[in-house]
Amino acid sequence: MNAFANLPFATSRPLTLGVELELQLVSPRDYDLTRAATDLLSSLHHDGRCGDVKLEITESMIEVNTHPRQDVTAIATDLEGLRGLLVEHCRRNNVAICGGGTHAFHRWPERRICPGERFAFLNERYGYLSKQFTVFGQHIHIGVTSGDDAIWLTHALNMYVPHFVVLSASSPFVDGADTAFDSARLNAVSAFPLSGQAPDVRDWAAFLEHMAVLQACGVAESIKDLYWDVRPKPEYGTVEVRVCDTPLTVDRATELAAFAQSLARWLLRERPPIDPPLQGLVARYNKFQACRFGFNAELADPLARCKRPIAKALAGLLDSLMEDARDLDCHRQIEALRRQVESRQSDAGLLRGLARSVGSLNELTRVATEHFAQPSRYHRHD
Amino acid sequence: MSSVRAFWESLQDRLMFLPPMPEQADPLALMALLLVAGLLAGEGLYRMAGLSRIVGYVLAGALAGPGALNWLDGETLALARPVADAALGLLLLETGRNLDLGWLRANPGLLRTAAAESGLAFAGVFVFSWGVVGLSPAWSAATAAITMTSAPAVVLLTAEECRAQGQVTQRTLLLTAISCALAFVVFALVLGLIHAEESGDGLNAFIHPIWVLGGGVLIALLCARLALGLAARLEKGGAGQVFVLVAAALLAIGLARMAAVPVFLSLFLMGVAVGQLDRNRVLAYTSLPQGHWILAIVLFVVTGAMLPLGEATGLMLLQAVGLLVVRGFAKFIGVMATGREDLSAQRRRLLGLGVQPLSATAVFMAAELAAFYPEVSVQALLLPLLAAALMEFIGPQLCRRAFVLAGEAALPNREPPP
Repeated sequence: MNAFANLPFATSRPLTLGVELELQLVSPRDYDLTRAATDLLSSLHHDGRCGDVKLEITESMIEVNTHPRQDVTAIATDLEGLRGLLVEHCRRNNVAICGGGTHAFHRWPERRICPGERFAFLNERYGYLSKQFTVFGQHIHIGVTSGDDAIWLTHALNMYVPHFVVLSASSPFVDGADTAFDSARLNAVSAFPLSGQAPDVRDWAAFLEHMAVLQACGVAESIKDLYWDVRPKPEYGTVEVRVCDTPLTVDRATELAAFAQSLARWLLRERPPIDPPLQGLVARYNKFQACRFGFNAELADPLARCKRPIAKALAGLLDSLMEDARDLDCHRQIEALRRQVESRQSDAGLLRGLARSVGSLNELTRVATEHFAQPSRYHRHD
Repeated sequence: MSSVRAFWESLQDRLMFLPPMPEQADPLALMALLLVAGLLAGEGLYRMAGLSRIVGYVLAGALAGPGALNWLDGETLALARPVADAALGLLLLETGRNLDLGWLRANPGLLRTAAAESGLAFAGVFVFSWGVVGLSPAWSAATAAITMTSAPAVVLLTAEECRAQGQVTQRTLLLTAISCALAFVVFALVLGLIHAEESGDGLNAFIHPIWVLGGGVLIALLCARLALGLAARLEKGGAGQVFVLVAAALLAIGLARMAAVPVFLSLFLMGVAVGQLDRNRVLAYTSLPQGHWILAIVLFVVTGAMLPLGEATGLMLLQAVGLLVVRGFAKFIGVMATGREDLSAQRRRLLGLGVQPLSATAVFMAAELAAFYPEVSVQALLLPLLAAALMEFIGPQLCRRAFVLAGEAALPNREPPP
């Protein structure tokens, strides 16, 4: 009897949203990563009104989770509440906090694994990869009503992984050097053996069979062992998009959540044709293009058997989503993304420009903490 | 030895370039040997017994000093003093830069903790020195001023040695910096009291504290502005900026020595000034080169040699232990009674442990005072110096223990390989 035979898929209201952000904890002295997560969490008193604050794998990271929300404004309000809470708490403890997918110059051997059984297990299993996993991502949960819908949406969203990567890219620097990538974070994720794309399964029952095989072979104990780009999350009743870098501001995080929600609605409404095996042929290549070239990436389209500039594809897609965005009351966020695509200005580009102007990566990180400290313009004013 | 001398002199008859047979070892050569001895003792204690390296350095100095083997006599110590001044100065420069006023603005409770632990330590030691030991009020105040501060050099180097990061470490560094600031101000005022009590000279009693504080501020501002002005013209984070910072600090040390203003005060103030005046963050990310550990060895070897270990009687040792108990308890209570809102009791206990060291700064403060009234101060300053001597060996361990127990030290092999 395996654990997956009858794993239920919790039903959630369609298109509910939840956002997780992994954030950097840096020292205001030199803006290098610092070990602070356990200290901060142990002295943090909050009522959980806006969501939760959790440890991540190393002491220099902290994760915030919003509550499941029906609309983007509520997500923005949660994110703003969590941002304000953490910025203030960090100030009182002489720690600074910022977004960005990688820290520009930290040395991974200096990282410390957080206390906890799960983190100890990951460190035991993955060795140095667990410390190198001190990278910072945004995960977006989208509610679906059934396991079958979750599997279909997982495959459908896989086609748009490069789009999420390009819009969120904020990790151009690693080890004190410009990587020439817009999102170098995903290279750290790719090193894990269970990363990549979800398998080509037809429906929820087939997915459970696949998971049972993995479990029987000792490959994975549960779904959280799988670091797929997009994965179903049965206990929440959601599909989780996991490829975004943590942006520099909570506003951009809100815009990405709006994009995910509008895209999911459009996909579930239109049900465009998908071909997972064919998509799988070019998935890694397309993701690489998006990570490396950002808005200048050219995507392989195996259905049309051609390549397409992603900036053009994104502009068209965002136009297509506008009607759904209006219905979901998140058109302001989609319009902001549309302007971003037009200007081809990602957080990665912003960081590169800043690095040139301020002249040091320490100072670049300090400016990033200032960006994160800016209040959101999307949240609901009570 | 006489045969060697005879052989040397016979050689001298034939080799005209040979100098006379040296009567004693060159102080520089002796110092170099002592540095190596200090380094080996420090490394040995660190690797074999897990003790702080600083204990080894002090031990080497104390053994070689006038109180034990007398390899380091007064002349050699005088020769090494500028280097020790430079070492302490550079470490206090870092301590001053650690005084983060932004953090104090965001968390004013920290200022209450600092005032409580330093204030209680001053009050406790003053009452003990006056009421129990029987020192005069002015010398009791001097003893309290010297011992109210924690040891910035020990705390800074221990944090570096353990590569410690976390709230206990950060707050120990901050409280040490604030207690330094408070102790230096009190020390300047005490100078006036000493003059008034010893010579009844009102003019000196009034002007000397102003000279010390005003001179320290002027030297600090001048050298900080010079460092920032020059560094702004150089590549950010480059070796040139490090050179400018160190050169400006050495200039401040020289000026302070020429103007008879305490080096530790001037350099601490310079550190504060560099941190506060650096609006464009020109030197914000410039650290001292790793070579400052060599200076630290000199500092602690010399400090060890300056300790009056040979002059201690049983009673005096007992009084020194009493002083340390009163001081330690006062600092601990000060930390435990404040800051409940943002630090757990367990963390505050470790913070109370971390701020216990007493070291080179105290010894150098005592030396400043001793220069004015050598005949009186020999006895009067024996108490704080003996307390510092004992704490030289215990303090680094307490501080290290605090960081380790807080789980903030990155000790080798802490995480077993998977």
